Amino acid sequence: MPAPHTPLQYLINTYSGHPLRLFTVTLRTVLSLHLFVTHGYGYSTTWGASMLPTFEILLDGLLVSKYYRRGRGIQVGDVITFDSVVEPGQKVIKRVLGLEGDYVMRDTPGSGSLEMLQVPKGHCWVIGDNLPHSRDSRHFGPMPMALIRGKVIAKIQPFSERKWVTNGLTPVDEG
Amino acid sequence: MSRLNPLLQRLSQSKPFMRKSGYNLLIFASWIPALVFFNENVGQVAKISGASMYPYLNTSYNEGRSKDLCWVNKWSPGQNLQRGMLVSFWSPSHPEVLAIKRIIAVEGDVVYPRAPCPSPKAEIPAGHVWVEGDNRDGRRSLDSNYYGPIPINLVQGKVTNILWPWASSGPIRWWEFKGKTKVVEGRREDAPQWS
Repeated sequence: MPAPHTPLQYLINTYSGHPLRLFTVTLRTVLSLHLFVTHGYGYSTTWGASMLPTFEILLDGLLVSKYYRRGRGIQVGDVITFDSVVEPGQKVIKRVLGLEGDYVMRDTPGSGSLEMLQVPKGHCWVIGDNLPHSRDSRHFGPMPMALIRGKVIAKIQPFSERKWVTNGLTPVDEG
Repeated sequence: MSRLNPLLQRLSQSKPFMRKSGYNLLIFASWIPALVFFNENVGQVAKISGASMYPYLNTSYNEGRSKDLCWVNKWSPGQNLQRGMLVSFWSPSHPEVLAIKRIIAVEGDVVYPRAPCPSPKAEIPAGHVWVEGDNRDGRRSLDSNYYGPIPINLVQGKVTNILWPWASSGPIRWWEFKGKTKVVEGRREDAPQWS
């Protein structure tokens, strides 16, 4: 057998006729990718009207940074993906409008109610950009930060509409 | 690059022993993702800290500093949750803490909670469970009496076995649990829904 000079020759020599070796290297590769997707960067698609006009109703592709899982470094105005408070197994995308200790409005602005509440420790207040068609903290109350999966950093699909997703909140102009 | 070249040359010419151990280190590192996957999705050994599950877990809490070790099954954690089961979940008030408590009530039930809970009666809404520590002293357990029913999506695993100490090791017979908290059992379909 000739010495392995090319990478292809090396791969053939190493894995051909060694099913166990091939199996473990496949396992390690797949699980490395899984680790990257769960702890590094993931991809997510939209479904539903709650984040109009930031995202379309169906199948916008989003890039999600998993560094922010469980609410690490999340700030007011960030768009996050999290496991639903209400339905086991569902994932949701909303915008953070209040962190622990903040005072937030309980109901929709203009609904007549001016009730305020303080977000409890370890929780945040999440609201969809499309107020009339969003099921969010106005319905289920403060959301535990531990449910947060990641922060949406960019819209990457459709490619022609690609953009960075930035903090959409700006201070009120008091001038 | 010119400074790096001699280093690379030395590495490539280094003794077989060094090359071999570097290769072994790389092989070891390539198994770390598998370990993480196993711990997050299959099962994990958990150390019980605190007295909230006393006297069932950490039975020797008042006698020494030793802590119980338990096996947590992490496969499909949110499915088929029953009253009496021990579950591990991300604490709603401390997002980086995995807490272990007992499920007292599931969706559709009505609970009559203890001291710090502001309301005398709590209905468990759809997609939630009520968790409490076993400790009779409510102040020793930070549980649903403080933060209310928890979303099932917070649940990360079911505690199935006690591994340490030997005296109490064995499978957890959660179905034999008789609680002190008053629970009116309801049907899952009747749980309050979210409009």
